[in-house]
Amino acid sequence: MSPPAPHLLEEAAEWLLTLNFDDADEAQRQAFERWRAQSEAHRAAWARAERVMGTFASVPPDIAQQAVRRTGDRALSRRRTLRLLSALLVGVPGGWLALRTLPLDELGADLVTATGERRTLLLADGSQLVLNTDSALDVRFDERVRRLRLRRGEVLVTTQADPVAPRRPFVIELAHGEVEALGTRFSVRLDEARCQVAVFAHGVELRPQRGAAVRLAAGQQAWFDARGVQRFAPVDEDASLWTRGMLLAHDRPLAEVLAELGRYRPGLLRCDPAVAGLRVSGALSLDDTDQALLALERTLPIRVIHRTRYWVAVGAP
Amino acid sequence: MHPALSSGSPTVALDRLYRDHHGWLSGWLRGRLGNAPDAADIAQDTYLRILSSGRLPVREDSRRYLVQVAKGLVIDLWRRQEVERAYREAIAHLPEAQVPSPETHWLIVDALLRIDAMLDGLPAPVREAFLLAQFQRLTLAEIAVRLDLAVITVRRHIQRALVACLVACEA
Repeated sequence: MSPPAPHLLEEAAEWLLTLNFDDADEAQRQAFERWRAQSEAHRAAWARAERVMGTFASVPPDIAQQAVRRTGDRALSRRRTLRLLSALLVGVPGGWLALRTLPLDELGADLVTATGERRTLLLADGSQLVLNTDSALDVRFDERVRRLRLRRGEVLVTTQADPVAPRRPFVIELAHGEVEALGTRFSVRLDEARCQVAVFAHGVELRPQRGAAVRLAAGQQAWFDARGVQRFAPVDEDASLWTRGMLLAHDRPLAEVLAELGRYRPGLLRCDPAVAGLRVSGALSLDDTDQALLALERTLPIRVIHRTRYWVAVGAP
Repeated sequence: MHPALSSGSPTVALDRLYRDHHGWLSGWLRGRLGNAPDAADIAQDTYLRILSSGRLPVREDSRRYLVQVAKGLVIDLWRRQEVERAYREAIAHLPEAQVPSPETHWLIVDALLRIDAMLDGLPAPVREAFLLAQFQRLTLAEIAVRLDLAVITVRRHIQRALVACLVACEA
Protein backbone atom coordinates (compact mmCIF):
# COMPACT_ATOMS: atom_id res chain seq x y z
CA MET A 1 0.00 0.00 0.00
CA SER A 2 1.26 3.46 -0.79
CA PRO A 3 1.96 5.75 2.18
CA PRO A 4 -0.83 8.07 3.29
CA ALA A 5 -0.87 11.51 1.67
CA PRO A 6 1.29 14.10 3.47
CA HIS A 7 -1.66 16.30 4.41
CA LEU A 8 -3.37 13.33 6.10
CA LEU A 9 -0.23 12.66 8.12
CA GLU A 10 -0.20 16.27 9.20
CA GLU A 11 -3.83 16.07 10.19
CA ALA A 12 -3.17 12.86 12.09
CA ALA A 13 -0.28 14.55 13.90
CA GLU A 14 -2.58 17.42 14.82
CA TRP A 15 -5.10 14.95 16.25
CA LEU A 16 -2.37 13.16 18.21
CA LEU A 17 -1.44 16.49 19.67
CA THR A 18 -5.03 17.39 20.50
CA LEU A 19 -5.86 14.03 22.04
CA ASN A 20 -2.57 13.37 23.85
CA PHE A 21 -1.16 16.72 24.85
CA ASP A 22 -4.05 19.17 24.90
CA ASP A 23 -7.08 18.71 27.11
CA ALA A 24 -9.44 17.33 24.52
CA ASP A 25 -13.13 17.63 25.39
CA GLU A 26 -15.99 15.44 24.30
CA ALA A 27 -16.78 17.60 21.26
CA GLN A 28 -13.19 17.30 20.05
CA ARG A 29 -13.24 13.55 20.53
CA GLN A 30 -16.36 13.34 18.42
CA ALA A 31 -14.79 15.57 15.80
CA PHE A 32 -11.81 13.23 15.76
CA GLU A 33 -14.04 10.20 15.25
CA ARG A 34 -15.71 11.94 12.32
CA TRP A 35 -12.30 12.78 10.86
CA ARG A 36 -11.08 9.22 11.15
CA ALA A 37 -14.25 7.75 9.70
CA GLN A 38 -13.99 9.82 6.53
CA SER A 39 -12.11 7.31 4.42
CA GLU A 40 -9.82 4.32 4.31
CA ALA A 41 -6.89 6.72 3.82
CA HIS A 42 -7.79 8.60 7.00
CA ARG A 43 -7.93 5.35 8.93
CA ALA A 44 -4.58 4.31 7.47
CA ALA A 45 -3.01 7.61 8.51
CA TRP A 46 -4.33 7.12 12.01
CA ALA A 47 -3.09 3.53 12.12
CA ARG A 48 0.36 4.91 11.45
CA ALA A 49 -0.07 7.44 14.26
CA GLU A 50 -0.96 4.60 16.59
CA ARG A 51 2.08 2.65 15.49
CA VAL A 52 4.29 5.63 16.30
CA MET A 53 2.76 5.97 19.74
CA GLY A 54 3.12 2.23 20.25
CA THR A 55 6.85 2.49 19.55
CA PHE A 56 7.20 5.24 22.13
CA ALA A 57 5.19 3.25 24.65
CA SER A 58 7.37 0.17 24.23
CA VAL A 59 10.32 1.82 26.00
CA PRO A 60 10.29 2.71 29.71
CA PRO A 61 9.96 6.53 29.67
CA ASP A 62 13.00 7.43 31.75
CA ILE A 63 15.27 5.16 29.75
CA ALA A 64 13.88 6.48 26.50
CA GLN A 65 14.31 10.09 27.47
CA GLN A 66 17.90 9.66 28.60
CA ALA A 67 18.98 7.46 25.73
CA VAL A 68 17.36 9.65 23.07
CA ARG A 69 18.95 12.75 24.58
CA ARG A 70 22.35 11.12 24.44
CA THR A 71 21.99 10.04 20.82
CA GLY A 72 20.71 13.53 19.98
CA ASP A 73 23.82 15.09 21.47
CA ARG A 74 25.93 12.78 19.43
CA ALA A 75 24.04 13.34 16.20
CA LEU A 76 26.16 16.39 15.53
CA SER A 77 29.47 14.61 15.83
CA ARG A 78 28.03 11.77 13.82
CA ARG A 79 27.21 14.13 10.97
CA ARG A 80 30.73 15.48 11.07
CA THR A 81 32.04 11.93 10.76
CA LEU A 82 29.73 11.35 7.83
CA ARG A 83 30.98 14.39 6.03
CA LEU A 84 34.46 13.02 6.51
CA LEU A 85 33.34 9.72 5.09
CA SER A 86 31.91 11.50 2.05
CA ALA A 87 35.10 13.48 1.65
CA LEU A 88 36.96 10.20 1.46
CA LEU A 89 34.99 9.23 -1.60
CA VAL A 90 37.82 9.98 -3.96
CA GLY A 91 37.16 8.87 -7.49
CA VAL A 92 33.43 8.67 -6.99
CA PRO A 93 32.36 12.18 -7.97
CA GLY A 94 28.93 13.61 -8.34
CA GLY A 95 25.96 14.39 -6.21
CA TRP A 96 24.01 12.10 -4.01
CA LEU A 97 20.78 13.14 -5.68
CA ALA A 98 22.00 12.53 -9.17
CA LEU A 99 21.98 8.76 -8.90
CA ARG A 100 19.51 7.13 -11.15
CA THR A 101 17.72 3.92 -10.37
CA LEU A 102 15.03 2.01 -12.17
CA PRO A 103 12.28 -0.17 -10.78
CA LEU A 104 13.19 -3.81 -11.31
CA ASP A 105 9.91 -4.64 -12.99
CA GLU A 106 10.58 -2.06 -15.65
CA LEU A 107 13.90 -3.46 -16.67
CA GLY A 108 11.93 -5.18 -19.38
CA ALA A 109 11.00 -1.84 -20.96
CA ASP A 110 12.98 -0.77 -24.01
CA LEU A 111 13.50 2.81 -23.00
CA VAL A 112 13.55 4.19 -19.51
CA THR A 113 14.44 7.44 -17.84
CA ALA A 114 15.07 8.02 -14.14
CA THR A 115 13.59 10.86 -12.09
CA GLY A 116 15.10 14.10 -13.36
CA GLU A 117 16.43 12.52 -16.54
CA ARG A 118 15.40 13.37 -20.09
CA ARG A 119 16.37 11.48 -23.19
CA THR A 120 16.08 12.18 -26.93
CA LEU A 121 15.91 9.24 -29.32
CA LEU A 122 15.59 8.58 -33.01
CA LEU A 123 13.53 5.61 -34.09
CA ALA A 124 14.20 3.39 -37.07
CA ASP A 125 11.69 5.30 -39.24
CA GLY A 126 13.29 8.69 -38.48
CA SER A 127 10.65 9.70 -35.94
CA GLN A 128 12.00 11.47 -32.88
CA LEU A 129 11.07 10.83 -29.26
CA VAL A 130 11.83 12.90 -26.21
CA LEU A 131 11.24 10.84 -23.09
CA ASN A 132 10.59 12.94 -20.00
CA THR A 133 11.49 12.29 -16.35
CA ASP A 134 10.59 8.93 -14.75
CA SER A 135 9.18 7.33 -17.90
CA ALA A 136 9.19 3.89 -19.49
CA LEU A 137 8.34 3.00 -23.06
CA ASP A 138 8.47 -0.02 -25.38
CA VAL A 139 9.07 0.20 -29.11
CA ARG A 140 7.22 -2.46 -31.09
CA PHE A 141 7.54 -1.85 -34.82
CA ASP A 142 6.46 -4.60 -37.19
CA GLU A 143 5.49 -4.87 -40.83
CA ARG A 144 1.95 -3.62 -40.23
CA VAL A 145 2.21 -1.00 -37.50
CA ARG A 146 4.69 1.32 -35.81
CA ARG A 147 3.65 0.81 -32.24
CA LEU A 148 4.95 2.36 -29.00
CA ARG A 149 3.72 1.41 -25.58
CA LEU A 150 4.00 4.08 -22.91
CA ARG A 151 4.13 2.33 -19.57
CA ARG A 152 4.84 5.33 -17.41
CA GLY A 153 5.61 9.02 -17.65
CA GLU A 154 5.57 11.32 -20.66
CA VAL A 155 6.83 11.38 -24.22
CA LEU A 156 6.92 13.96 -27.00
CA VAL A 157 6.69 12.42 -30.44
CA THR A 158 7.61 14.01 -33.78
CA THR A 159 6.68 11.50 -36.44
CA GLN A 160 8.14 11.20 -39.93
CA ALA A 161 6.52 9.82 -43.04
CA ASP A 162 7.06 6.09 -42.96
CA PRO A 163 9.91 5.04 -45.28
CA VAL A 164 8.27 1.63 -45.59
CA ALA A 165 5.47 1.15 -48.13
CA PRO A 166 2.63 0.72 -47.71
CA ARG A 167 2.66 3.35 -44.99
CA ARG A 168 2.22 1.87 -41.51
CA PRO A 169 0.13 3.67 -38.91
CA PHE A 170 1.95 5.16 -35.91
CA VAL A 171 0.19 4.21 -32.68
CA ILE A 172 0.91 4.79 -29.00
CA GLU A 173 -0.65 2.26 -26.72
CA LEU A 174 -1.63 3.26 -23.19
CA ALA A 175 -3.32 1.73 -20.20
CA HIS A 176 -6.55 3.56 -21.08
CA GLY A 177 -6.61 3.20 -24.85
CA GLU A 178 -4.50 4.32 -27.77
CA VAL A 179 -3.47 7.40 -29.72
CA GLU A 180 -2.85 7.35 -33.45
CA ALA A 181 -0.63 9.99 -35.03
CA LEU A 182 -1.94 11.62 -38.20
CA GLY A 183 1.39 13.11 -39.38
CA THR A 184 2.31 15.16 -36.41
CA ARG A 185 4.03 16.46 -33.28
CA PHE A 186 2.31 15.70 -30.01
CA SER A 187 2.94 14.68 -26.44
CA VAL A 188 1.39 11.97 -24.34
CA ARG A 189 1.50 11.95 -20.58
CA LEU A 190 0.33 9.14 -18.35
CA ASP A 191 -0.88 9.82 -14.84
CA GLU A 192 -2.22 7.27 -12.43
CA ALA A 193 -5.83 7.72 -13.39
CA ARG A 194 -5.77 9.15 -16.88
CA CYS A 195 -3.86 10.21 -19.90
CA GLN A 196 -3.19 13.66 -21.30
CA VAL A 197 -2.55 14.27 -24.99
CA ALA A 198 -1.40 17.64 -26.37
CA VAL A 199 -1.10 18.26 -30.09
CA PHE A 200 1.40 20.83 -31.43
CA ALA A 201 1.13 20.12 -35.18
CA HIS A 202 -1.42 18.37 -37.40
CA GLY A 203 -3.62 16.01 -35.45
CA VAL A 204 -4.12 12.75 -33.62
CA GLU A 205 -6.95 10.36 -33.03
CA LEU A 206 -7.71 9.29 -29.45
CA ARG A 207 -9.25 5.90 -28.99
CA PRO A 208 -10.27 5.30 -25.38
CA GLN A 209 -10.69 1.61 -24.58
CA ARG A 210 -14.46 1.75 -24.23
CA GLY A 211 -15.42 5.26 -25.37
CA ALA A 212 -15.86 6.84 -28.77
CA ALA A 213 -12.82 7.84 -30.85
CA VAL A 214 -12.08 11.59 -30.97
CA ARG A 215 -9.88 13.67 -33.27
CA LEU A 216 -7.66 16.36 -31.78
CA ALA A 217 -6.18 19.13 -33.93
CA ALA A 218 -3.05 21.23 -33.41
CA GLY A 219 -3.43 23.59 -30.46
CA GLN A 220 -5.74 21.26 -28.58
CA GLN A 221 -5.22 18.98 -25.64
CA ALA A 222 -7.46 16.46 -23.98
CA TRP A 223 -7.57 14.16 -20.99
CA PHE A 224 -9.04 10.70 -21.28
CA ASP A 225 -9.39 7.43 -19.44
CA ALA A 226 -10.74 4.04 -20.48
CA ARG A 227 -14.33 5.32 -20.53
CA GLY A 228 -13.71 8.26 -22.80
CA VAL A 229 -12.52 11.84 -23.16
CA GLN A 230 -13.15 13.88 -20.03
CA ARG A 231 -11.96 17.36 -20.90
CA PHE A 232 -10.60 19.53 -23.71
CA ALA A 233 -8.47 22.64 -23.44
CA PRO A 234 -6.31 24.79 -25.71
CA VAL A 235 -2.56 24.19 -25.60
CA ASP A 236 0.37 26.27 -26.83
CA GLU A 237 3.95 25.49 -27.76
CA ASP A 238 5.14 26.39 -24.25
CA ALA A 239 3.68 23.14 -22.97
CA SER A 240 6.51 21.28 -24.72
CA LEU A 241 9.28 23.38 -23.19
CA TRP A 242 10.12 20.54 -20.81
CA THR A 243 11.96 19.02 -23.74
CA ARG A 244 14.46 21.84 -23.19
CA GLY A 245 14.46 21.52 -19.42
CA MET A 246 12.23 24.48 -18.81
CA LEU A 247 8.87 25.07 -17.22
CA LEU A 248 7.13 28.24 -18.31
CA ALA A 249 4.33 29.36 -16.01
CA HIS A 250 1.74 31.96 -16.94
CA ASP A 251 -0.19 32.98 -13.87
CA ARG A 252 -0.43 29.45 -12.50
CA PRO A 253 -1.19 28.56 -8.86
CA LEU A 254 1.95 27.73 -6.85
CA ALA A 255 0.56 24.32 -5.85
CA GLU A 256 0.32 23.31 -9.52
CA VAL A 257 3.81 24.53 -10.31
CA LEU A 258 5.25 22.65 -7.32
CA ALA A 259 3.41 19.48 -8.29
CA GLU A 260 5.04 19.80 -11.70
CA LEU A 261 8.52 20.40 -10.23
CA GLY A 262 7.97 17.42 -7.95
CA ARG A 263 7.96 15.11 -10.96
CA TYR A 264 11.57 16.01 -11.62
CA ARG A 265 13.01 15.39 -8.16
CA PRO A 266 13.00 12.38 -5.85
CA GLY A 267 11.34 12.66 -2.45
CA LEU A 268 8.52 14.75 -1.12
CA LEU A 269 7.82 18.33 -2.18
CA ARG A 270 5.00 19.69 -0.08
CA CYS A 271 3.01 22.88 -0.49
CA ASP A 272 1.33 24.51 2.50
CA PRO A 273 -2.34 25.29 1.65
CA ALA A 274 -1.71 28.83 2.95
CA VAL A 275 0.45 29.61 -0.07
CA ALA A 276 -1.00 27.12 -2.57
CA GLY A 277 -3.01 29.81 -4.35
CA LEU A 278 -0.17 32.29 -4.95
CA ARG A 279 0.17 33.04 -8.65
CA VAL A 280 3.40 32.18 -10.42
CA SER A 281 4.64 33.58 -13.71
CA GLY A 282 8.06 32.97 -15.18
CA ALA A 283 10.54 30.40 -16.38
CA LEU A 284 11.86 27.72 -14.05
CA SER A 285 14.60 25.17 -14.56
CA LEU A 286 13.48 21.54 -14.58
CA ASP A 287 17.06 20.33 -14.84
CA ASP A 288 17.98 21.96 -11.54
CA THR A 289 14.89 21.96 -9.34
CA ASP A 290 16.83 23.28 -6.32
CA GLN A 291 17.57 26.33 -8.44
CA ALA A 292 13.89 26.54 -9.42
CA LEU A 293 12.83 26.48 -5.75
CA LEU A 294 15.38 29.19 -4.98
CA ALA A 295 13.96 31.31 -7.80
CA LEU A 296 10.43 30.89 -6.42
CA GLU A 297 11.61 31.81 -2.94
CA ARG A 298 13.19 34.99 -4.27
CA THR A 299 10.10 36.16 -6.12
CA LEU A 300 7.23 35.03 -3.88
CA PRO A 301 6.36 35.60 -0.23
CA ILE A 302 7.22 32.02 0.67
CA ARG A 303 9.81 30.05 2.59
CA VAL A 304 11.35 26.83 1.35
CA ILE A 305 12.25 24.52 4.21
CA HIS A 306 14.62 21.64 3.49
CA ARG A 307 13.67 19.32 6.31
CA THR A 308 15.73 16.54 4.86
CA ARG A 309 17.24 16.03 1.44
CA TYR A 310 14.09 14.24 0.35
CA TRP A 311 11.53 16.25 2.20
CA VAL A 312 11.08 19.85 1.20
CA ALA A 313 8.16 21.95 2.42
CA VAL A 314 7.07 25.26 0.93
CA GLY A 315 5.17 27.50 3.30
CA ALA A 316 4.51 31.04 4.42
CA PRO A 317 7.59 33.01 5.52
CA MET B 1 21.46 6.87 -32.04
CA HIS B 2 21.16 3.88 -29.79
CA PRO B 3 18.33 3.67 -27.33
CA ALA B 4 19.53 2.42 -23.95
CA LEU B 5 18.30 -1.09 -24.31
CA SER B 6 18.06 -2.68 -20.93
CA SER B 7 18.96 -6.17 -20.52
CA GLY B 8 16.89 -9.12 -19.69
CA SER B 9 15.48 -10.19 -16.39
CA PRO B 10 16.01 -8.53 -13.00
CA THR B 11 17.97 -11.53 -11.71
CA VAL B 12 20.42 -11.33 -14.58
CA ALA B 13 20.94 -7.63 -13.98
CA LEU B 14 21.44 -8.08 -10.25
CA ASP B 15 23.79 -10.94 -10.90
CA ARG B 16 25.86 -8.74 -13.18
CA LEU B 17 25.91 -5.99 -10.56
CA TYR B 18 27.25 -8.56 -8.11
CA ARG B 19 29.89 -10.07 -10.37
CA ASP B 20 31.16 -6.74 -11.64
CA HIS B 21 31.36 -4.83 -8.39
CA HIS B 22 31.15 -7.02 -5.29
CA GLY B 23 34.93 -7.39 -4.96
CA TRP B 24 35.46 -3.69 -5.49
CA LEU B 25 32.79 -2.77 -2.93
CA SER B 26 34.23 -5.11 -0.28
CA GLY B 27 37.65 -3.59 -0.82
CA TRP B 28 36.28 -0.07 -0.61
CA LEU B 29 34.50 -0.86 2.66
CA ARG B 30 37.56 -2.57 4.16
CA GLY B 31 39.57 0.54 3.40
CA ARG B 32 37.01 2.79 5.06
CA LEU B 33 36.08 0.68 8.08
CA GLY B 34 39.43 -0.94 8.73
CA ASN B 35 37.50 -4.04 9.77
CA ALA B 36 37.22 -6.98 7.41
CA PRO B 37 34.27 -8.86 8.98
CA ASP B 38 32.11 -5.71 9.15
CA ALA B 39 33.11 -4.85 5.59
CA ALA B 40 32.12 -8.29 4.32
CA ASP B 41 28.78 -8.15 6.16
CA ILE B 42 27.97 -4.74 4.85
CA ALA B 43 28.91 -5.59 1.28
CA GLN B 44 26.54 -8.56 1.49
CA ASP B 45 23.79 -6.50 3.10
CA THR B 46 24.17 -3.88 0.38
CA TYR B 47 23.12 -6.35 -2.28
CA LEU B 48 20.32 -7.68 -0.11
CA ARG B 49 19.06 -4.15 0.42
CA ILE B 50 19.15 -3.45 -3.31
CA LEU B 51 17.32 -6.69 -4.04
CA SER B 52 14.57 -5.93 -1.55
CA SER B 53 14.30 -2.29 -2.63
CA GLY B 54 13.26 -3.46 -6.08
CA ARG B 55 15.40 -0.83 -7.77
CA LEU B 56 18.63 -1.24 -9.66
CA PRO B 57 21.04 1.53 -10.60
CA VAL B 58 21.47 2.37 -14.27
CA ARG B 59 24.76 0.98 -15.40
CA GLU B 60 26.88 4.12 -15.37
CA ASP B 61 25.85 4.78 -11.77
CA SER B 62 26.47 1.26 -10.43
CA ARG B 63 29.41 1.99 -8.15
CA ARG B 64 28.15 5.28 -6.88
CA TYR B 65 24.83 3.66 -6.09
CA LEU B 66 26.44 0.73 -4.30
CA VAL B 67 28.48 3.17 -2.26
CA GLN B 68 25.40 5.20 -1.42
CA VAL B 69 23.51 2.15 -0.18
CA ALA B 70 26.59 0.82 1.65
CA LYS B 71 27.11 4.16 3.36
CA GLY B 72 23.53 4.02 4.56
CA LEU B 73 24.25 0.62 6.08
CA VAL B 74 27.47 1.82 7.68
CA ILE B 75 25.48 4.62 9.24
CA ASP B 76 22.89 2.09 10.43
CA LEU B 77 25.65 0.05 12.03
CA TRP B 78 27.17 3.06 13.76
CA ARG B 79 23.78 4.20 14.82
CA ARG B 80 22.94 0.85 16.37
CA GLN B 81 26.24 0.82 18.24
CA GLU B 82 25.57 4.33 19.42
CA VAL B 83 22.03 3.60 20.54
CA GLU B 84 23.21 0.49 22.37
CA ARG B 85 25.83 2.56 24.15
CA ALA B 86 23.27 5.25 25.05
CA TYR B 87 20.96 2.54 26.35
CA ARG B 88 23.67 1.01 28.52
CA GLU B 89 24.50 4.42 29.91
CA ALA B 90 20.85 5.15 30.61
CA ILE B 91 20.31 1.93 32.58
CA ALA B 92 23.62 2.28 34.44
CA HIS B 93 22.05 4.86 36.74
CA LEU B 94 18.88 2.90 37.45
CA PRO B 95 18.21 0.94 40.62
CA GLU B 96 18.48 -2.73 39.81
CA ALA B 97 14.76 -3.34 40.18
CA GLN B 98 14.05 -0.91 37.34
CA VAL B 99 16.55 -2.32 34.88
CA PRO B 100 14.70 -4.20 32.15
CA SER B 101 15.40 -7.91 31.98
CA PRO B 102 18.17 -8.93 29.56
CA GLU B 103 15.67 -10.67 27.27
CA THR B 104 13.93 -7.37 26.58
CA HIS B 105 17.15 -5.44 25.89
CA TRP B 106 17.15 -5.95 22.18
CA LEU B 107 13.45 -5.10 21.91
CA ILE B 108 14.11 -1.82 23.65
CA VAL B 109 17.21 -1.06 21.61
CA ASP B 110 15.16 -1.78 18.51
CA ALA B 111 12.45 0.62 19.58
CA LEU B 112 15.07 3.22 20.51
CA LEU B 113 16.58 2.90 17.06
CA ARG B 114 13.23 3.55 15.49
CA ILE B 115 12.64 6.52 17.77
CA ASP B 116 16.09 7.88 17.01
CA ALA B 117 15.42 7.58 13.29
CA MET B 118 12.05 9.30 13.59
CA LEU B 119 13.49 12.24 15.49
CA ASP B 120 16.65 12.48 13.44
CA GLY B 121 17.39 15.85 11.93
CA LEU B 122 15.02 17.80 14.15
CA PRO B 123 16.49 20.89 15.80
CA ALA B 124 17.42 20.48 19.47
CA PRO B 125 14.57 22.62 20.91
CA VAL B 126 11.98 20.69 18.89
CA ARG B 127 13.37 17.41 20.10
CA GLU B 128 13.60 18.52 23.70
CA ALA B 129 10.04 19.87 23.77
CA PHE B 130 8.82 16.63 22.34
CA LEU B 131 10.78 14.45 24.79
CA LEU B 132 9.43 16.40 27.75
CA ALA B 133 5.87 16.01 26.50
CA GLN B 134 6.12 12.39 25.44
CA PHE B 135 8.25 10.86 28.17
CA GLN B 136 7.92 13.16 31.11
CA ARG B 137 4.25 13.88 30.42
CA LEU B 138 4.72 17.58 31.15
CA THR B 139 1.92 19.85 29.95
CA LEU B 140 2.52 22.35 27.19
CA ALA B 141 2.50 25.15 29.77
CA GLU B 142 5.09 23.37 31.94
CA ILE B 143 7.35 22.79 28.97
CA ALA B 144 6.99 26.42 27.96
CA VAL B 145 8.26 27.49 31.39
CA ARG B 146 11.04 24.92 31.42
CA LEU B 147 12.36 25.88 27.96
CA ASP B 148 11.50 29.55 28.23
CA LEU B 149 9.34 29.51 25.13
CA ALA B 150 5.80 30.63 24.32
CA VAL B 151 3.18 27.87 24.72
CA ILE B 152 2.23 28.29 21.07
CA THR B 153 5.87 27.67 20.08
CA VAL B 154 6.02 24.55 22.23
CA ARG B 155 2.87 23.28 20.58
CA ARG B 156 4.30 23.97 17.13
CA HIS B 157 7.53 22.15 18.04
CA ILE B 158 5.63 19.10 19.19
CA GLN B 159 3.43 19.17 16.11
CA ARG B 160 6.54 19.29 13.94
CA ALA B 161 8.13 16.36 15.79
CA LEU B 162 4.95 14.30 15.42
CA VAL B 163 4.74 14.99 11.70
CA ALA B 164 8.37 13.96 11.34
CA CYS B 165 7.60 10.73 13.22
CA LEU B 166 4.59 9.96 11.05
CA VAL B 167 6.49 10.61 7.85
CA ALA B 168 9.47 8.53 8.96
CA CYS B 169 7.45 5.66 10.42
CA GLU B 170 7.60 2.75 8.06
CA ALA B 171 4.52 0.90 7.10
